[in-house]
Amino acid sequence: MSAGMLYGGDEIGALVFDGGHYSLRVGYAQEDTPKAEIPAVVGIGEDANGMAVLEGEAMEVDEKKPDPSSINQSNKKYYIDTTSLCVPRQGVEVASYMKECMIDDWDVFEKVLDYSYKKIIQSESEFHPVLMSEAPWNVRLKREKLTELMFEKYSVPAFFLVKNAVLAAFANGRSTGLVVDSGATHTTAVPVLDGYVLGQAIVKSPLGGDYISMQCTKYLEENDVDLSPSYMVSGKEAVKEREKPRWTKRRNLPEVTRSWHNYMVRKVVQDYQATALQVLETPFDDKIVANIPTVHYEFPTGYNQDFGAERFRIPEALFDPSMVRGNTMLGVSHIVTTSVGMCDVDVRPSLYGSVVITGGNSLHQGFPERLNRDLSMKIPNSMRLKMISANGSPERRFGAWIGGSILASIGSFQQMWLSSQEYDEGGKQQIDRKCP
Amino acid sequence: MKLMKNEIATIAYLFGSFYRVSLARHRSSRIMADIRDILDINEAPVPQEPMTKESILGHEKHRKKPKPLRDVVKRPEGMHRELYALLYTDNKDAPPLIPSDTVGTGYKQMKAKLGMRRVRPWKWMPFTNPARTDGAAFHHWRRAADEGKEYPFAQFNKKVPVPTYTDAEYQQHLNVDSWTKEETDSLFDLCRRFDLRFVVIHDRWQTEKQRSVEELKSRYYDVCGLLTKARSTGPHEPKVFVFDAEHERRRKEQLKRLFDRKPEQIEEEQMLLAELRKIEVRKKEREKKTQDLQKLITAADSQAEPRKLDKKAQKKKVPQQQARPKPEAVPTLDFTGIKFPDFKNSGVFLRSHRMKLPSNVGQKKSKAIEQMLQELGVEVNPMATPEICTHFNELRSDMVLLHELRLALANSAYEVQTLRHQYEALCPGKTVLHRPLPLPTSTLTPLCTTSSTAQIQQSPTKIQGGEIIDVVGSPGTPTVVTPSN
Repeated sequence: MSAGMLYGGDEIGALVFDGGHYSLRVGYAQEDTPKAEIPAVVGIGEDANGMAVLEGEAMEVDEKKPDPSSINQSNKKYYIDTTSLCVPRQGVEVASYMKECMIDDWDVFEKVLDYSYKKIIQSESEFHPVLMSEAPWNVRLKREKLTELMFEKYSVPAFFLVKNAVLAAFANGRSTGLVVDSGATHTTAVPVLDGYVLGQAIVKSPLGGDYISMQCTKYLEENDVDLSPSYMVSGKEAVKEREKPRWTKRRNLPEVTRSWHNYMVRKVVQDYQATALQVLETPFDDKIVANIPTVHYEFPTGYNQDFGAERFRIPEALFDPSMVRGNTMLGVSHIVTTSVGMCDVDVRPSLYGSVVITGGNSLHQGFPERLNRDLSMKIPNSMRLKMISANGSPERRFGAWIGGSILASIGSFQQMWLSSQEYDEGGKQQIDRKCP
Repeated sequence: MKLMKNEIATIAYLFGSFYRVSLARHRSSRIMADIRDILDINEAPVPQEPMTKESILGHEKHRKKPKPLRDVVKRPEGMHRELYALLYTDNKDAPPLIPSDTVGTGYKQMKAKLGMRRVRPWKWMPFTNPARTDGAAFHHWRRAADEGKEYPFAQFNKKVPVPTYTDAEYQQHLNVDSWTKEETDSLFDLCRRFDLRFVVIHDRWQTEKQRSVEELKSRYYDVCGLLTKARSTGPHEPKVFVFDAEHERRRKEQLKRLFDRKPEQIEEEQMLLAELRKIEVRKKEREKKTQDLQKLITAADSQAEPRKLDKKAQKKKVPQQQARPKPEAVPTLDFTGIKFPDFKNSGVFLRSHRMKLPSNVGQKKSKAIEQMLQELGVEVNPMATPEICTHFNELRSDMVLLHELRLALANSAYEVQTLRHQYEALCPGKTVLHRPLPLPTSTLTPLCTTSSTAQIQQSPTKIQGGEIIDVVGSPGTPTVVTPSN
């Protein structure tokens, strides 16, 4: 590699972890999509019939075990990743290890990491430097704890923490911009300046994908739609639109917990949400909506219906929260303007000049267009407004992961890692200095 | 004609291939002779069969057999040359259905073309990055040959130089009341970490005292300036960057206000701007009008200067006529001679253009000028030297004036005549004692314009008594000096 031919990439076998409330994305740096997307919830079961020993062996001989992804420790069994999580089991509770977009349950998180190394990376952790994303408001204590975990337990050669908003901006080719991340639990506006988050100007709103799911559930329940997930259905007959579904329940189902059932119901709603919902480009208006074709959707029970106005009304709450009674949250465009308004006047034009839209919730059809419209109404004409949103669904969902993949494989980034030597010398406090 | 063209094309083709083939082996006169043979269309009998190389160069047995020429299919009219070339290539065949161009330079290579150089293996090897301070070794793929070379990306490790200071230096030079040493230290640490991105530094500022971006900046640049000054040993004071925090603050304040304007305010501003523009346009128009007026007045004044003198004399005798000509009446004054346009801003022009009568001079006037010029024996189009130009223009201007005055005089005389007749009819027996006005003559009398005006002016003065008919000042009559009063 001569100086004249120096291009940006240098692969050192790094791993990228991008954790969110919905899922944890895991993969090798320099690849364009993560190797796996692991749900951010795990099933935790009480190990009843003395299987502890057997499950413990499962770590070594997982070929013979029908359920290798379950990791046993003491008397608890963890069911990680979709395949094992979605099997109905008696007494398995579903719990998330995330809270406020930060890792909260470290034991469970460790289990998920174990699983990732074993099943997805399939390599030893000490060979791969790790780049992890974090929430822009992550607290020092948790960062240090994570650093400690990675170095002490997984003995990684190097570690780095980056705010996911910065990574999302990188994934869209910007180092400065306002990152609008509409994820599962939150919609946030994070100003990023030269790859640094301006932490004091972050604006969060709890209007995210989960909120929309909640509204959908409420709406569907009000309309007596049977939301039985597919695990309960053993057979169904074709019925006409809006007709009562005729389906048979699966027999000898184990007695599943409430939380697990709710998780499965949520998955049904999320599918409905992704299929049917759409954001109107202009503020909600019954007359306009009436002219837009309806969307047909069939639930696992066989019930099917054409959805019209409601599919626009529900996501409208993201932009105009006053649609929903008793809601005092900020709409997306309001979040953006508030966040920019808190930044220095000099950087405002560059922030508005690249508004990066990322996060799975932004995949609602019409989301970027609507935000563009709302913002252009709110900000002065002299300000150049540019929306940047990747078109593809993986690029939008895994925005932060892709940014991490890019960053970890840039040649000049290799000097930034917090190496195990540095960790040994300076301790976990190093992370605060090395990863601003 | 077409045959000729074909022949030439054929010969050119043959010449080309011949030349290519033979150049390497044969040079000298034989080639020249051959070429002469080829080119000599008239002498050589035109072969009936399609020409081949042998038919011309039959004696060259060992040469490559040239491709036999097929009859050239003419390019259909309207077909693009490129398309035609696709259809009829050198072998004049229709293109094959299956790609056959797989050997040689075709786009499909049957065999991989391998370079003659030896393969350079890549190796997964550890490397240390000189941009790192800890000497940590990571692994990456690299050419085995490059093993041991410096990490190429280390050259991008650039840092903003942030000065450092010692405790003593701080105590001696940098001590200020508004900043503690701890705060300054922390500022410099952040400056180093964030490469002088003051907005980010401001964001990460964690000491209890809140500082604005400007405060941080001004402290940093103050310290830098003080340090440079303190450390400089040369006789000249080193140049330091002075940060004007107050100006910065005001600028930002203004920017913020600009940013925070409400849509209504912006609308209002736009409206006001539009109004302002309108007012300015109107003002300009008014100014232009007054300027025109001014010009007219000055022109009239300069023309009427001699008359004014008379006027003064007249004023003494006729006190009723004291009123000065009012400016609004000036536009009625239409004898001002000719105003020749200025050629100040119109670039290059012929000087004779200066003598061109402006378009606002009517046909009658120009006719009159022509006539008068003829009478005076002056050339209608004289040589346009600068002097002649000015004089000629002045002359014509005066002529027009004279012409106008004559007309006015004639009018006046006519009126006097009518009035006298009226008077005589009303009061029979009485006659007005009056010297008849000199009627305008068509011939140019030697009297100049001024004398003629003087005569007009004289006339009222000669009339004595109550029955004086004010020829000049009477309303309705076109007068030179006084308008209707």
